[in-house]
Amino acid sequence: MKKSILVCIIFAFLGLLIPAPASASGTLTFFANGEELITEGFLPPKQTKDGWTLTFDHAFVALSHITAYQTDPPYDPHSGQPLSTKEKVVLDGVYVVDLARGSDQILPVFVGEAADAPTGHYNAISWRVVADKGGILSGYSMLLIGKAEKDGQKIQFQIRTAEEATYTCGEFVGDERKGFLREGEAANLEMTFHFDHVFGRADKEADDPMNTGAVGFAPFADGAKVHEITLQGMHIGHAGEGHCAVQWH
Amino acid sequence: MIKSIFFPAFYLACYLFGAVNVYAHGVVAGYTEVPGIKIAAQYDNGSPLAGGEITVFAADKPTTPWRRSTLDDQGEFVFVPDHSIVGTWSVQVRQSGHGTMIHIPIIEGEVGPQEDAPSGALTPLQKGVIAVCVVWGSIGTALFFSRRKHEKHTAL
Repeated sequence: MKKSILVCIIFAFLGLLIPAPASASGTLTFFANGEELITEGFLPPKQTKDGWTLTFDHAFVALSHITAYQTDPPYDPHSGQPLSTKEKVVLDGVYVVDLARGSDQILPVFVGEAADAPTGHYNAISWRVVADKGGILSGYSMLLIGKAEKDGQKIQFQIRTAEEATYTCGEFVGDERKGFLREGEAANLEMTFHFDHVFGRADKEADDPMNTGAVGFAPFADGAKVHEITLQGMHIGHAGEGHCAVQWH
Repeated sequence: MIKSIFFPAFYLACYLFGAVNVYAHGVVAGYTEVPGIKIAAQYDNGSPLAGGEITVFAADKPTTPWRRSTLDDQGEFVFVPDHSIVGTWSVQVRQSGHGTMIHIPIIEGEVGPQEDAPSGALTPLQKGVIAVCVVWGSIGTALFFSRRKHEKHTAL
């Protein structure tokens, strides 16, 4: 009798060693996108609001605290309410990406991926633009390197900022809906940067809210090689075409 | 009248004219109950999203457009959803690189919104508690039978 009880106990313990069935998961991939205005440039008729043609050799930006959320109700960045998070996936580390590396064929730049992300609809994303201590940025959070041209005047420029900000966005708005992760499959999310909020657009009305908030390129056309820029007030972080809440640090 | 819309009309008014942060060239949208659902979209400065694209996604196929159309000169669009498809419908409006997404809960008849169902997957804490219970139960059962047998032998 004692032996049979002992056998029962052993089997009970062995049962505990059998791994529980894994929860449904897939791979969540994060991209950054400077859109055609960075990969192709501010080309006619989409010059800057003050008429400069810009092309970019590099558009470095340092990203951290990259987090995807499943929220219910869906997060509305205009509401001022916090995220109501059911599930979240964090991409650890600091990622320095060159937004100019994209092409017209493959616009978004790969940032990183999270394997074994729980399935569901990731309908919100947040990230922080941070000053990277080392590397190409050496203390700055963003660095734009390129060429500008207007009325025969040609300028090589470097524009940089050390400002840090957290962008919190709702669902991606674009040609397709993103973030639906099914078991064993992959889904992607995008951190989008709208640089027309910085330089404005000549093909928009001068009193367009985007143009009135943008600085244009003239402040950087004085011949100095390196300029600093203040981005506060210019909401460049988006989820596709959807706006984000911004917290400056 | 469609009974399956939760948010009252004042939500739209608050959303569009008051309780929102102002973003440069952002898009805000809302909906009201009319014979059908009326979507109204405008920029932060109050100008309508005239001629903007609108895409409606039904609750059962959230990645496949149920309808695509264009906003009118007032930035508005009216549609009648298929009420046999219950759940959260999503509506995306876009124009000139700016847009937003709103979500409309559609229910059938008087059925209210469903509570969040508990997840089928167990948390680590739940798994731990279950494991402890199984072990404790096994040991307790073994000790119980062991004690009874021991008492029998003693009685004999």
